Amino acid sequence: MTVAAGIGYALVALGPSLSLFVSVISRKPFLILTVLSSTLLWLVSLIILSGLWRPFLPLKANVWWPYALLVLTSVCFQEGLRFLFWKVYKRLEDVLDSFADRISRPRLFLTDKLQIALAGGLGHGVAHAVFFCLSLLTPAFGPATFYVERCSKVPFFLISAIIALAFVTIHTFSMVIAFEGYAKGNKVDQVMVPVIHLAAGMLTLVNFASEGCVIGIPLLYLVASLTLVHCGKMVWQRLLESRNQSSASR
Amino acid sequence: MAMGLIRLLSIAFTLVLLSILPLHLSLADEITSIESVPDLQKLMYVAVDGFPCVRLLNLSGEIGCSNPGINKVVAPIIKLKDVKDLVQPHTILVTADEMEDFFTRVSTDLSFASKIGGVLVESGSNFQQKLKGFSPDKRFPQAQFSPYENVEYKWNSAASSIMWRNYNFPVYLLSESGISAVHEILSKKKMKHGTYTSDVAEFNMVMETTKAGTHNSEACLQEGTCLPLGGYSVWSSLPPISVSSSNNRKPVVLTVASMDTASFFRDKSFGADSPISGLVALLGAVDALSRVDGISNLKKQLVFLVLTGETWGYLGSRRFLHELDLHSDAVAGLSNTSIETVLEIGSVGKGLSGGINTFFAHKTRVSSVTNMTLDALKIAQDSLASKNIKILSADTANPGIPPSSLMAFMRKNPQTSAVVLEDFDTNFVNKFYHSHLDDLCKKSHSLSFSSFRSKPHFALLIPFWCCIAANINSSSVVAAASVVARTLYILASDNKDTSNSALGSIHVNASFVEELLTCLLACEPGLSCNLVKDYISPTNTCPGNYAGVILGEPSSKPYLGYVGDVSRFLWNFLADKTSVQKGNTTSVCSKGVCSKTDEVCIKAESNKEGTCVVSTTRYVPAYSTRLKYNDGAWTILPQNSSDSMGMVDPVWTESNWDTLRVHVYTVQHSAYDNAVLVAGITVTTLAYIGILAAKSIITKALKQD
Repeated sequence: MTVAAGIGYALVALGPSLSLFVSVISRKPFLILTVLSSTLLWLVSLIILSGLWRPFLPLKANVWWPYALLVLTSVCFQEGLRFLFWKVYKRLEDVLDSFADRISRPRLFLTDKLQIALAGGLGHGVAHAVFFCLSLLTPAFGPATFYVERCSKVPFFLISAIIALAFVTIHTFSMVIAFEGYAKGNKVDQVMVPVIHLAAGMLTLVNFASEGCVIGIPLLYLVASLTLVHCGKMVWQRLLESRNQSSASR
Repeated sequence: MAMGLIRLLSIAFTLVLLSILPLHLSLADEITSIESVPDLQKLMYVAVDGFPCVRLLNLSGEIGCSNPGINKVVAPIIKLKDVKDLVQPHTILVTADEMEDFFTRVSTDLSFASKIGGVLVESGSNFQQKLKGFSPDKRFPQAQFSPYENVEYKWNSAASSIMWRNYNFPVYLLSESGISAVHEILSKKKMKHGTYTSDVAEFNMVMETTKAGTHNSEACLQEGTCLPLGGYSVWSSLPPISVSSSNNRKPVVLTVASMDTASFFRDKSFGADSPISGLVALLGAVDALSRVDGISNLKKQLVFLVLTGETWGYLGSRRFLHELDLHSDAVAGLSNTSIETVLEIGSVGKGLSGGINTFFAHKTRVSSVTNMTLDALKIAQDSLASKNIKILSADTANPGIPPSSLMAFMRKNPQTSAVVLEDFDTNFVNKFYHSHLDDLCKKSHSLSFSSFRSKPHFALLIPFWCCIAANINSSSVVAAASVVARTLYILASDNKDTSNSALGSIHVNASFVEELLTCLLACEPGLSCNLVKDYISPTNTCPGNYAGVILGEPSSKPYLGYVGDVSRFLWNFLADKTSVQKGNTTSVCSKGVCSKTDEVCIKAESNKEGTCVVSTTRYVPAYSTRLKYNDGAWTILPQNSSDSMGMVDPVWTESNWDTLRVHVYTVQHSAYDNAVLVAGITVTTLAYIGILAAKSIITKALKQD
């Protein structure tokens, strides 16, 4: 498939993350650090999960429920880890706020907190894309291509990149939803993030069916756009609230 | 609002679960599990198993096949029948029955030849059944060595001469697994994604002589990019000759057979009829005679000689005769003058017809010795109880002896009185002479085994009823062995009134002959059969009866790692059968050395510790009389008028190579690759624009006061 196609697949999977990094994250060093540490944390979580599941591999190829179990346990583990991540962030936020008080500087704005959540989510998304798509992409730079029996219209690498893009979107924006949900104690948001993550994971099982990717991938993008829309709505509401609050407090 | 969204999500989730539940029905077909990136690469680049055609050189040029340059050849695959006006070089998929016409067309039509990137030959059993005959050799093989003038005589009627031409592209014969791999890739394309992909074959068959630009034997031997063809012939005498007593030498009856053949594809040459049937008949006769009492009391000495390199300019016989002139160590115990009669066993696998095995005795010239041999053959024929063997003299209208080692013997000494026993009279009955189809078994579809080369397998004798249309018949070989054994006894006892009881006790073991045929002519059990493993540890399971190159310094006591499997097996087998036991003690030998001078160490490979037996069995190197080995390099000697065969010897060498591999894979058209790159860039740019838009909206919303 050559270098051109290899770069194309990498850009499909991680291009938007790159855009986000360049336009938002790279302006603030703290966000860069957040992305890096988040990526590392989530990569380690995926490695731990693979270590835990290693004795049970390879799974039986012609039944789907072991894979569903795999997805379920992984999602539960990662959601638990997300809560811990938020807890650590909360401590960090308190430290930063008290430091700001000491040197008579303003505390973290809402936008700052949202950006940190976004950076955390971006780290999660990049970790997913690296682990599930980029690690397989080396053969794509060679001359040959590969088609899978069960999704035979599109090359395997392209499908992998498209799915990775959907998950990058889901992870990036659900971290924002989750942080706001934990901060505000909003049960809807708190429950929605694991549900979306689990739904997205289970949707990939649809790809097991012959030509199932024709249904599975659009549904996955539906979930991703739902996440994006909900996050947008939530952020807009919060911004309006904070603006009203700040004008009311004057 | 939030509740509405939750409801929407829960509905979506339920739908998902419902769509997953019926999945168990559709997971019926198997998944090839990919467990790592190397696994993925192996699935992408499918390695195709098969047999290459390699580059051979002679004094004036090259023959055979090779990659045209130093790079891999990558060309899209197309079947020969679909070829129409090709623009760029393609890989042509040719079936066995189309092979002859295809290669003939390549040599005559240069514009067609320029459009060939590579060739894959498919030789499945369904195509083989269509073929009545196929021989890539010449009409009169090795005619330049003929002792008579009629070199236009057509001995080989199915001849096409395609293996003696020079091809500037790689040619690869697909094995059974290779054929299925190629068909699988081609069928996938038809089913699914035909328009923007093409299936290509990648040939990695670069020859060192092409890389170094050495295009004849002299240049390549000088540069060290090739090696001369040859090997190790084996001779053994029954009973052993005591070298010390040089007087009282009995006259020698020499029985000759050859062990090498050739075909278009170097590693797929079994040579069932020509010449392995003759070799197996000789071994069957040796086995029968070894069980006869009183062999040492006969008037003449029996010597058995198995030559190699005969296909490539009678290297074995020429070197053997040369060594006899030099009285070298390799032939200690023999001399030119002591050889009284020569009997060669040629192709004897196709003598069976209508229940009778018929063989023809071709004699070099009319003399008392040849008449004696013919009489002995007749007596042996009559003595066999089954009465289904007939020995006939060859037609006097034949121009002379057929292509055989005796041609070299005659050229060296026109007074040679010798007889060659063949299953044909005026021309070859073997319609697959020197082709990859001269083998034991054409398997039917229901009995197809997977590729044997690297998988371990238990010793499984293929009974003959499994084979459809084998090119030889084992009963013909057994009949020839019986006749030869008794003929040799008669010749050695020099007594025409041999009693029937003595002759009648000479029996060839038919099951031994059948087992040996499956060892030397089939891949299963091949050289891993019990019979061969008893004597040696073979390096390959599939016997390849191509002579190959001669490695290292030629000597009568060569380093055994450089001697081929079949030569080592023959040496051990003949030493065992022709040995006499001295007393009741058998001493063991490690490191292949026996204490007494007339003893040799046999079976040392498989058991690590061999047995010392008294036997006269020696290796004789087989290589061109025009070559000399000096200080690790080969040089070509100038022409010598005393060596008339050396004057016409092409001096064959084989190019060295790094690897011989073929892969097939699917390639996307470059338009598709570029479209993917553009898509990636577009997605990135659109995301960037979207993020900038979101940023400006948020900033505006925050600024609104």
